[in-house]
This record gives sequence, structure tokens and C-alpha cells, in this order.
Amino acid sequence: MIELERNSELKNSLKIFFTNPTAVVGFIIFIIYVIDALIVQFAPWLLGIKNPNVLQENFVNPIPLPPSAQHPLGTTYPGIDLLKAIEAAIRIDLAFSLIIVLGGAAIGATLGIISGYIGGLLDDVLMRITDIFFAIPFLVLAIAVGFALGRTYESMIIALIIVWWPLYARYARAQTLSIKRTPFIDAARIAGVRDFKIMIRHILPNVLPPIFIQISLDLGSVMVIFSTLAFIGLIPNASLPELGYLTSLGLNYLQSAPWAVIFPGLAITLFALAVNLMGDGLRDVIDPRRRSS
Amino acid sequence: MKLWLFILKRVIFAFITIIGITFIVFALLHVGGNNLLLSAYINPRLTGPAREQLIQQLTIRFHLNDPIYVQYFYWLQALFSGDLGYTNTPIYSGPVTTAISLFLPNTITLTIIAAILVWIIGIPLGVYSAVKRDSALDHSVRIFSFTLYSMPIYLIAFILIIIFGIELKILPYAFPINSVLASNLPWYKDGISYPTHIILIDALIHGNLTVFWNALLHAILPSLTLALSILAGIIRILRSSMLEVLDQDYVRLARAKGVPEKVVINLHARRNALIPVLTLYGYTIASLLGGTVVVESIFAYPGIGYWTTQAILVNDVGGIMAAALIFGVVFVIASLILDIVYALIDPRIRY
Repeated sequence: MIELERNSELKNSLKIFFTNPTAVVGFIIFIIYVIDALIVQFAPWLLGIKNPNVLQENFVNPIPLPPSAQHPLGTTYPGIDLLKAIEAAIRIDLAFSLIIVLGGAAIGATLGIISGYIGGLLDDVLMRITDIFFAIPFLVLAIAVGFALGRTYESMIIALIIVWWPLYARYARAQTLSIKRTPFIDAARIAGVRDFKIMIRHILPNVLPPIFIQISLDLGSVMVIFSTLAFIGLIPNASLPELGYLTSLGLNYLQSAPWAVIFPGLAITLFALAVNLMGDGLRDVIDPRRRSS
Repeated sequence: MKLWLFILKRVIFAFITIIGITFIVFALLHVGGNNLLLSAYINPRLTGPAREQLIQQLTIRFHLNDPIYVQYFYWLQALFSGDLGYTNTPIYSGPVTTAISLFLPNTITLTIIAAILVWIIGIPLGVYSAVKRDSALDHSVRIFSFTLYSMPIYLIAFILIIIFGIELKILPYAFPINSVLASNLPWYKDGISYPTHIILIDALIHGNLTVFWNALLHAILPSLTLALSILAGIIRILRSSMLEVLDQDYVRLARAKGVPEKVVINLHARRNALIPVLTLYGYTIASLLGGTVVVESIFAYPGIGYWTTQAILVNDVGGIMAAALIFGVVFVIASLILDIVYALIDPRIRY
């Protein structure tokens, strides 16, 4: 009986999500990006990519060429085919964003739940710490962390996780506080359930859905920020196809070859846009108050 | 809560946050090794035995052979006495404090112009997309702001450069002033203007309107980029808060009384709708400082952000660490002021 109810609830949620046209468009674009990443990972030859981890440079014809039949999106310096490079770069950017967001969410949710559930001095201290992280612009904090740990892709990932967890800590804490006040937690406590078990069994499942939406929304923002770090030259001697780095390659040809900076940038924008639209739709599913409006 | 108690509490929190920021920066310096701290305090032009001697002096001064918390204390002491070390970048070489006084005014100028632009673009768009809800205008504003929200700030800059700088050729997109014009100015050297270091004000001080106009044109694209990068959030909040206000009884009453629609919207509804927007507005303007890092380096505008990217490219410890401190401290102080101002405007915030 309960199983049936859950099923219909899921069906209902899916119906709400899929009757929202913009959310569906976002979802489809998101899936296309994921499929592209999977193809590049497992069968790069399908897209004509020889080595997905290296940009294929061509020093015979280094100057950017406009879009043509041979190069549908044109080329960028030095003679890199933009379509193939963007296809390969999506895999890298997607993977990096996923690691950063999931890492930040895991650390933040853990600390947020503990902080919100236990409360008191621990809560005060943890929240002051997140305040401090919020005060420094993330770009600057990432620059400083990246500098101390060395300027590589790995250190940039660590830097952005450090930047990102406080957001989730605040989120999870707020959610925990509101659940803590509900009677079923009191009931569990009176029944003698241990605090640790309450946090895992009762609070975590209620904290996860909004966190999940935040993760999907953040994938876009993180990709934007990560590419910005690569763009301003934080990662030297990169040969990896990465969208921000790809944009910076076309920088000197802004006047003669605008496509070289526009297309990699658009690839990021499209993804971020899709993710935002999708997240908006997901929010409608979880928060019934938003549906009516 | 009494107002003074609220202010006192905020000031203490701000102070704790600033100490926390210094701790993070110090911890990062330490992770990178003691040499990093040293190299931030050594004048790069110093070589030979004098340098060795300075290293020894600094080792004693910062107690580098003592436990970490002792080192932190002495470093903090240096910071609060205004000694932030040295920076050595292609655009400036010398004490960090001088660099800050040269570059920060430009960054603040761009931020202020951006704040004004956000206000004059964002308010009408937000208000009218709420008033004309679900119209074609509303939908295009929604698409426009969603797209802007998803764009990396550098792409916004490039699109503006390509449209206004390269295709239409109506706005300049590099440096704070035309270089030919600048070469004839006795009060402008190496991208820095004197005495206030804000070229717009300096031009007025020297009574040179041509330079003022030229500098204003040069500031438009970088400021517009900054403005567009935060516009979406403002429009969204204003739209939903305006919708809420328009639904309230006093607005309905005003309409029923036969008050002209223009007056209802501009006088009755908009004022109240702006309160939640003000909060967001203040904080996003303060957070714009991060965006200046990218924008100033694209437009070669000599502000703190441009200096930061230059410092990154040449591994300049003094510059990077100072940038992290400056951006953090400026943000904390800005939000402190905002908190106090809001408490004065809206007594509910105090509780």
C-alpha cells in the first residue's frame, strides 16, 4: 500500500517536471552534454577525436579560420578545430564540476547536519567559520589556495571544494534546524534512538532533496567559475582541452576571429543555462507552494 | 534590541571575520612554506649580502623559528601596523600598501559606475516585467536575465567588446584613457593618474574636460560588464517582490479609488517592492569586487583586480596575499556598513 503511494507520488513529481517546457529543454541539453562526455570517454573515434586528453594543435595553419564545412565552428590558435576541442573539453569540465560540487556537498552537508543538530557552541563556531569563507570573494580565495598548493588542475579542484562547502553547510544546517523541531524527531529521541542514528536515518534523508537540487544548480556555476580560473591563466602550461583555457587561446584574435572566444564561452553558457532551467523545474517539484504561482 | 547593541554586535562579528580571513591567508602562506612569507616581505630589487641580512632580520622579526601561533601573532602585528610586504609585478613594483593606494581607487570607480548602471537598467526592467506579467516583454526579460545569469563574466565582456568596440567602433575597450592623449599629460604616468589616482576626478581637478570625457568612455564597457554580470539577480528579486506588493490590499484600494495606474506603480508599489532588493543590491555590489579580477585584466584597467592577475602570472606572493586580504576586508566592511544602514532604514532587521 505504502509502496503504491510512493510510486504515484514519484509519478506525480515526474509529471510536474515534464509538463514544464523550459525544464524539459534544460534536461535535454543536460543529457546531450552527458552523452557527449560519455562518448568522448569511451569512444572518442566516433567524433573524430584521436586523444581526448590533448588539444590537437596544427602549427602549419596556426591562425584561426572562420567556420567552414571542414571546421563547422572554425579553428582557434594554434590551428585547433573548435568543434572537436569543445566536444573533448565538455568531458573534462563536466568531470571537474561534478567532483567539486559533490566534494563540497559531502563536506558541507556533514558539517551542516552536525552543526544544526547538536547546536550550541559548536554551531556558533562553525557558522562563524562559514561567514569567514563567505566574506572572501571565491575567485580570490581560489587564487590564494591555488597559489599555496601549486597551480595545477588538481589544486584548483581542491581550492574550489574549499570555496564551495560553506554554502552547503548553511543549507544543510537550515534544513536540519527545521526538521529538528518536528515531533517525529522528539519521538525518536524519547524512544532512545542514538543521536548518530537520528542524524543518519531521519535527518539526512530530509536534507538530501534540497541539497540535490542545489547540486544540479551548482554544476553550472562551478563550470563557469572553473573555466574563469583557467581563463585568467591560473593553470599554466595546460594542454588539456578545457573550455576556459580554450577561450583564452583566442584572446589575441578577438578582432579578426571573434568565433574563437565566442564558441567556447557559449558552450559553457548553454550548459549553465540548461542546468538552471532544470533546477528551476526540480524546485517546483519539491516545493509545492511554487507550483500554483 | 537597542540600536547601539545591534551595531556593537555587528562590529564585533566583522572584527572576528577579519581575523579569520587573516588566519586563512596565514595558513595558506604556511602550507606553501616559510619562504613564501619571507618572499612577500623582501624588496625584489634587493640582492647579495644585503638580502641575506634582511632574511635574518625578518626571521627574527616574524619569529620564524618559534611555533606557528607565535609566528601568526607577529605577522598579524605587522599587518595591523600597515606593513603588507612588497610586490613585484610588470605594472608595479614596490610596497604593497602603495600599490593598494594606487589601484584601489580605480576598482572602486568601476564598481560605483557599475552600481549606478545596475540601478538604471535593473529597476525599470524588474518593475515592468512584473506589471506586464506574462507579456512578451516579461518573457524576453526572463530569457535575457536567465542567459546573463548563466554567462561567464569574460564572455559578457567579449560580446560587449565585439559589438560596441569592434563592429560599431563607438566605445574604446582597453586602458583607462587613450594612450596618445595620455602621453601629453604631466599628471598621468604608467597608467596611474595623480593626485587622487581616479582619472575621472583628476581630470576635473586639472580642468581638462577632453580627458574627463575620454576617461568616462573608457570606463563604460568594463563597468557595463560588471553591471550585466549581477543584473539578473536584481531583476529576478525585484520582479517577484513587485508581484507580491501589487497583490496587496492597499494597492487594490488605491486602484479602486481611481488613482492613476502610473502613480500606483511608481509611488505606491515600487517603493515597498524595493526594500528586499536593497539588501541584495548592497551585497552583490560588494561581491562585484571578485568580478573586477577578470574584467580589469580583459580591459587592461589598472585596478586591484588587474594587479592581482599580474601577480598570479609572475608568482608574486606579496600581491596575491594582499589581494586576498584586501578583497576580504573590503567585503566585510562593506557588509558591516550595509547592515547598519538597513537597521536604520528598517527597524525589523534588528530583531
